[in-house]
Amino acid sequence: MQQLISFKEKVILITGASAGIGQQTAILLSNLGAKVLLLATNEDKLIETLGLLNGTGHHYFCYDLSNLEEIERKVKEIVNQGGKIDGFVNCVGIRSRRPLTLLSIKEVRHVMDINFGSYIELIRCITKKGNFNSGLSIVGVSSIAAQAGGPGVTAYAASKAAVDAAVRCLSKELAPKNIRLNTVVPSQINTPEYAKLLQMNGGVDNVLNRQYLGLGEAEDVANAIAFLLSPASKFITGISLPVDGGYLSS
Amino acid sequence: MILNPMDLTNKKILVVGATSETGETITNQLLNLGAEVVMLDDNEERLITIADKCHNPRLNFNCIDIYNNQEIESGMKQIAASFGAFDGMVFCAGKGGVRPLQLTKNNFLHDMMNANLYSFIEVVRCLTKKGSFNNGGSIVVISSVSSIKGLKSKVSYSASKAALDASVRGMAAELSEKKIRVNSILKGWVTSDMKLDFIQDNMELNKNEDFARQLLGVIEPIEIANTVGFLLSDATKTITGISLLHDGGYSL
Repeated sequence: MQQLISFKEKVILITGASAGIGQQTAILLSNLGAKVLLLATNEDKLIETLGLLNGTGHHYFCYDLSNLEEIERKVKEIVNQGGKIDGFVNCVGIRSRRPLTLLSIKEVRHVMDINFGSYIELIRCITKKGNFNSGLSIVGVSSIAAQAGGPGVTAYAASKAAVDAAVRCLSKELAPKNIRLNTVVPSQINTPEYAKLLQMNGGVDNVLNRQYLGLGEAEDVANAIAFLLSPASKFITGISLPVDGGYLSS
Repeated sequence: MILNPMDLTNKKILVVGATSETGETITNQLLNLGAEVVMLDDNEERLITIADKCHNPRLNFNCIDIYNNQEIESGMKQIAASFGAFDGMVFCAGKGGVRPLQLTKNNFLHDMMNANLYSFIEVVRCLTKKGSFNNGGSIVVISSVSSIKGLKSKVSYSASKAALDASVRGMAAELSEKKIRVNSILKGWVTSDMKLDFIQDNMELNKNEDFARQLLGVIEPIEIANTVGFLLSDATKTITGISLLHDGGYSL
């Protein structure tokens, strides 16, 4: 039987890999045969995630992506150790909730740097000659916030919308190099970040009222990411795929 | 008597980035619709020229550099002190730029975001403080169809405009408590844009696929000014958080 999605011998870089959607994606891809390169800030959690992976040839890299200047060097190091990249999944991101009156330029810039700037810089460096294999597929994690407004999420929503727009341009620009780019657009997903959010809101989440399939699991998003990374989606580029339990259509 | 649903009489409107051709046209049209207008820009010479040309007692101006984040808060305070609370604001400042990915480094990204996103958020944040903006007021920002359509070498411009539109939705939700509305206009190619270098570069890069897509042809600045007037007026008092396409059919 032909397997629709296989990552045998494929090298996949995942940022924000030590928890939530990133961690679940790493586990899934390792089960599908990938060599996974994990990148995150917390070494203990990276080691823990490495222990959850299936197969061999995985590596982890400790790096804080808010340090934009050193990304180019880090990518070189990653490729030297892990091999040329066949797939890149960007799960790094910070949730920012702040009312407009407290939304200083400094805070907006911080959110944009981490959620958007580091993503563009990573893509810029990964798509340099010698760092990737033909057929490279890049998947970013966006958010329903990019398309639906909510109070207090101005900077976060802006950063995710920027990611989606960048992907529309880059898919066109990088097509001649046989590189595809897409994003997944999750709604509320059962992750440690979501637990924190729920706690802040006293256990109330109004978004779920419109998300009629209920709370999503990290695995649901990981499955969508795996599909967009794989050659099964080789004719799909420049899109933002909702994984939202119906939110955006309700 | 014919009632004009876009009448802006007794409304005080701040036009940010007023010295561009589109900004000047917007200023003129808002005056025609009866508004009191305060122009804001960093180019004092142009501000004086426009004010002299209009020669209208309902027109004032103030000079601050809105791309300098340090200046915005004190500048807006000063404006509120001089002119009182506003009923509307149009943000038509911003930058363009064409650059392939390999040359899109963080400094370039930051400049683009600063001009098209950070300045807007900071102006709105300061303007909507108590006493500077009336409840029921309307905020309009000029975005671009690039926000929803991708083109080669426009990654930073597109991203900045998409971020801008998303911030509009966030602010609209939040400021609805004060009945303040926030909307953007996704403009297509406007005649005044055509004189800009970055558009010339863009035409070279995206030959054949771009201008032909704007089915109704190139837009005149006055048409954008009319759409701005519409969104500022009470004719749209229950429209908020939208990005209104004014693109001559480009996105079809």
